[in-house]
Formats: sequence, structure tokens, C-alpha cells
Amino acid sequence: MRKYFEIIGKYCLFLKRVFARPEKWRLFFRQFLIESDKLVVSSVLLVAFISVFIGGVIVIQTAANLENPFVAKLYVGYMTRESLILEFCSTMIALVLAGKIGSNVSSELGSMRITEQIDAMEMMGVNSANYLVLPKIASATLLSPLLTLISFIVGLAGGALVAYTSDMVTITDYMEGITFSFNGSYVVYSCVKTAVFSFLITSISAFNGYYASGGSLGVGRSSTKAIVYSSMLILVFDLLLTQTMLY
Amino acid sequence: MIEVKNLTKSFGDNKVLDDISMSFEAGKCNMVIGASGSGKTVLLKNIMGLLTPDSGEILYSGKDLAKMPPKERKLLYREMGVLFQSNALFDFATVEENIGFPMEFFTRLSKAEKKEKTDMLLERVGLPGVNGKYPSELSGGMQKRVGIARALALNPKYLFCDEPNSGLDPMTSVRIDELIAGITEEYGTTTIINTHDMNSIMGIGDRISFIYEGKLKWKGDRDSFLRPDCSELEAFVHSNALASKLIG
Repeated sequence: MRKYFEIIGKYCLFLKRVFARPEKWRLFFRQFLIESDKLVVSSVLLVAFISVFIGGVIVIQTAANLENPFVAKLYVGYMTRESLILEFCSTMIALVLAGKIGSNVSSELGSMRITEQIDAMEMMGVNSANYLVLPKIASATLLSPLLTLISFIVGLAGGALVAYTSDMVTITDYMEGITFSFNGSYVVYSCVKTAVFSFLITSISAFNGYYASGGSLGVGRSSTKAIVYSSMLILVFDLLLTQTMLY
Repeated sequence: MIEVKNLTKSFGDNKVLDDISMSFEAGKCNMVIGASGSGKTVLLKNIMGLLTPDSGEILYSGKDLAKMPPKERKLLYREMGVLFQSNALFDFATVEENIGFPMEFFTRLSKAEKKEKTDMLLERVGLPGVNGKYPSELSGGMQKRVGIARALALNPKYLFCDEPNSGLDPMTSVRIDELIAGITEEYGTTTIINTHDMNSIMGIGDRISFIYEGKLKWKGDRDSFLRPDCSELEAFVHSNALASKLIG
């Protein structure tokens, strides 16, 4: 138990160093752009690929479960939209990103640690945690809600494609369903969840990579820990945020 | 000048450094020698502030590193140049960006001035024209020299080299040694070199300190090194076939 409190304390002290004022804002913004490209922009295709298929699958599953003739078919579109925006586009995508971004961040920092590159930065008087980690956290937290929106739109398009190419639901019913009783605050809820999840993914992965030790095996261990802890905390915070924001 | 007073450092039950006291002179190549695992790197990391001593003091011009306020310590770091055993070049950056990295942070030089200084440093270490290459495109010896150039970027008062010859062929090792010795003399830096390379010790060691099982066992100069009054150092010297033959 004491060990876990020590880790939490070390994580908080790490975040204190990360959120120090950047030495030079120009360098921070340059790194911010580089990390945005590496962490967020490069994830767009993966997110779109997953979303289009999940959108289609949700339509099929919902249509298969709505056989009652008294339930209007537009509910297929309605339920697809609600499933996507409430859970899939934030939580499912975050779990996928925990693997992609988490392993990227922790292995990059872990390699830098074991090859003494982080020590070299410290010896120059540079706050390495701030220089290396803050742009990653900032870019992922601020820009990942865009991935949620892309996922939402592409997921709905995937559903439309299934509706158009099959006879489970007509495209007219589907389109009516996805615009039926639309609650804009759900989009905000989903984007906030994604931002929180992205913060957790990047900060936990960076923490594990930054303090990696034990050679290449240690880097591997830090990546595994980063993904496992990020995924667990995503689910915990999913429950907390849902409880807080929806009720 | 750097002074170490009664430095002790343990990791768990393992006492790595035991009551070490020594001093390092400016403008000299101060060598810390000893077998692998004797505590040389831990000593250097304590001196550089990367590790915190359990007890004892590390004094830079009379000021205790551990008691320095963070701002003063940060300024001190800017006066240090470090050549790591693994070179520690940033693999995300080109040679020019590596050398320019400390200048980006701590100087107000224009782009052209930074380029000029980088070119000058690369010329100094005998590597002109490699500005655009990445560390992975360079040989071990070239990486060392780029590491030295980066360490010199802010005109350091203190130069720390951890095993600068490890993994290098004898010819390149000699070139690196000559480069470090030349820089020490030219810039008047307080240079500390961790090594167990006999060629380096005999070639450029102005002041030599021998660490054995975490204790300072002997100190002296090149002339007294081959005939020391210390059995552990004698065994260390005789473990090298060439040195053993020379002594007879």
C-alpha cells in the first residue's frame, strides 16, 4: 500500500516539474506542433478506420434487436448516434489511443532515459520533464477532442453506409434517427471525457517512461505499465465523469 | 576548482562510495581510475549533481552543491559540459541541432551566429561538414567528438567525461584523449575523466586518483603511477600486459 502512495507522490512531483513555466515559449510551441502531428494527427486514420466499422456494426446489432413492429425504425439511427457519442467515440477510442500513444510516449522517453539523453538535458540546466513532456500532454489534451468529433462523424457515416447497402433499415429512417432528439451537451460531455482520458494517457505514459530503468527490458516494462494503468484509469474516470456530468 | 569532502553514497545495503575526499584542479586533466564497479561513475554522478550524496560535501569554488538554491544550481549547470559514456546525443536531432540545443535555451545568439559557432566547434573537434547528419549516421568516434562539441557549446568551466574511450579503437581513443587534453589547456577547464584505459592515463593524466571498492586508495601523477606504493593499484596496473612489460 505504502508503495502505491509513494508512486502517487512521485507522479504528483513529476507533474509539478512538467507544469513549470517553459524556459522559452518559442521552443515550447515548436515542440507542441511536432507532438500534435506525432500524437494526434497521425491517429486520425486509425480512429476513422475503427469508427467506420463500429458505426456499421452498431447499426446491424441495433436493427437486429429492434424487430418489434411497434418500434419505429428511426430508432436504429437514434441509438447508433447515442452509442457513438456517449461511449464509443470517447472511451473506446481512448482505450485504442492508450495503446498507440501510450506505448509511443513511454518507449520514447524510456529510451531517452536509458541512453542518458535525459541526464544530458538536465546537465545543461534544462527542465527535461517540462521540455519533453508538457508539449505531449498539452497537444493530446487540447486536440484529442477533435478525434472524438471525427470518430463521431465517420461512425455515423459507417452506419449510413450499412443502412444504404442493406435492407435492415432504410437510409431515410436512419437519417431521421440520427437527427432525432439531438442533445448537443452530449457532444461536450464526450469531448471533455476525451480530453481527460488523453491527459491520463500522456501523463501516465510519460511518467513511466521518464523513470524507466533496467535497459531495454525496463523500457518494455514501462510501456506495458503505461498501457495497463492508463486503460484502468480511463475506465475509472469514465464512471466518475459519467456520474458527475450526466446526473 | 572542485572539492569532494567525506563523500559517502550507498544503494540499499551496498556502500558504493566510502568517505571519499579529493580535489580537482582547473586547467588539468584530473583522472579518476579504477576497475569496473569500483564506484567511478557514481562518484562522477554525485559531483555532477545527478545523484545526491548520503553524507559529505561537493564544493564548487567553495560552495556546497547540495546547499545551493535551485537558481544558482541551474546557473552552475550551464557552466558544465558533460561527455557521457553512451554519448547521449539526442537521436531526434541532427548534429547541428544537438550542438545548438544548449545555445537555443541559454543564449540570445541569432541563427547565423549559432551556425557559425556550431561550425567552429565542429572544426575544433575535426568534424567539419557533418551538420545535417543524425547521430545514428555517425561512427562511435564521430559521435564522441560531436558529444565533446556539444559539451563545449556554452564555454564550460567544468568538463566531465565518463569513459570517453569505451568502445573505441586505439587510434580514435588517442585522438579523443588529445582533443580533451587540448581543450582543457586551451579553455582552462576543470576536467574530470573517468577511465580505466591505461593509454589515456599515461597519455593525458595530469592528476590521477585511484578508487578501489568505493575508497580512494591512491592519488598522484603520471610519473609515480607506474611504481605506486599501493598494492591494489599495482595489481590494477599489472593487469595490463603492456604496462606490466614496461615496468618489468
